[in-house]
Amino acid sequence: MARIIGGIGTSHVPTIAMAFDKGKQNDPDWQPLFKGYEAVAKWLAEKKPDVLFFCFNDHATTFFFDHYPTFALGVSAEYRIADEGLGVRKIPRLKGDAALARHIARSLVEDEFDLTLFQDLPIDHGLHSPLTMMWPTQPDWPGKVIPLVVNVLQHPLPKPSRCYKLGQAIRRAIESYPEDLKVAMVGTGGLSHQMIGERAGFNDEKWDREFLDLIEKDPERLAKMTIDDFARLGGNEGAEVIMWLIMRGALRKDAKKLHQNYYLPMTTAMAVALFE
Amino acid sequence: MSAKGLRLNRFLNGLVHEKNRKKFLDQPEEAMQGLSDAEKDMVRRLDWKALMDYGASFFCLEKLARAKGVSNPQMVAAFRGESLEAFLKTRRVPGAR
Repeated sequence: MARIIGGIGTSHVPTIAMAFDKGKQNDPDWQPLFKGYEAVAKWLAEKKPDVLFFCFNDHATTFFFDHYPTFALGVSAEYRIADEGLGVRKIPRLKGDAALARHIARSLVEDEFDLTLFQDLPIDHGLHSPLTMMWPTQPDWPGKVIPLVVNVLQHPLPKPSRCYKLGQAIRRAIESYPEDLKVAMVGTGGLSHQMIGERAGFNDEKWDREFLDLIEKDPERLAKMTIDDFARLGGNEGAEVIMWLIMRGALRKDAKKLHQNYYLPMTTAMAVALFE
Repeated sequence: MSAKGLRLNRFLNGLVHEKNRKKFLDQPEEAMQGLSDAEKDMVRRLDWKALMDYGASFFCLEKLARAKGVSNPQMVAAFRGESLEAFLKTRRVPGAR
């Protein structure tokens, strides 16, 4: 039987990928970020999950506003890296677990989550900006991914409570897969930031720290909040932290946070947290 | 996303394709043929605030910014109506960009 061995919450800021690609591991401006991921990379190297289930959002790269799906699950055996305007990152194509993804799709629809399914589409930094901080790229990725693309761009967005319940349904789906696989959940986004409007540049470290506390100890309280609550407290784009609720919903209620890092250098609070 | 902004966003979004990007950088007027005069003008001037107010998605503007070598802090400063230098003074680690 497949099982969930833990979860990771992480920001997916594009500059994380740029810092990685430019080799800024020892640059004093970036070192606090890279250091913060070491414990997560070590955990992954020791626990060796076969699959990372990624809850993330696309940034109008894979999908466009003529048709923006609310929840879209990738069911391919391989994904290209998307060109977002700077050329394609020099990292291997992502390997997908098509069989598990298709099982999860069937199970979720049976559980009344009617998903969009996609294949053969390129994936943007929402997934692989954090991935390169956690998994080695050489000689190849050590495992497979399953991408779940969540609409946090085009309103109306899915409710936080829906995201939490989707996580619980993903747990049921994974645990009903007969093959003996280890899966780690990844929820991406945030923390506080606002890119547009007069409040562009907004952050709130106090709220971010409260969120990092609640996501471990009382995720149901977060799930009861509205999208507007998240946007007010964490900024317009910061509301994307609802994707951490999918990850958290898939973990045991009594999951414990083993590690956390918080770094707010520029416009977006960059956080990573590990749960088991 | 407003219906009004869709044409402009589709153009910006198309810049993820290397062929479109090259054409836009080499022959911008030809590449922008499908846009209205007002839209062309904002793109020519890289007037980030006007583009945003018009209905351009931030994530589509990012494609234009990457093609033109403009960073996100530069765009955010423009949205706030201040210079990059003034914006960076409000940040904890101005070099992290």
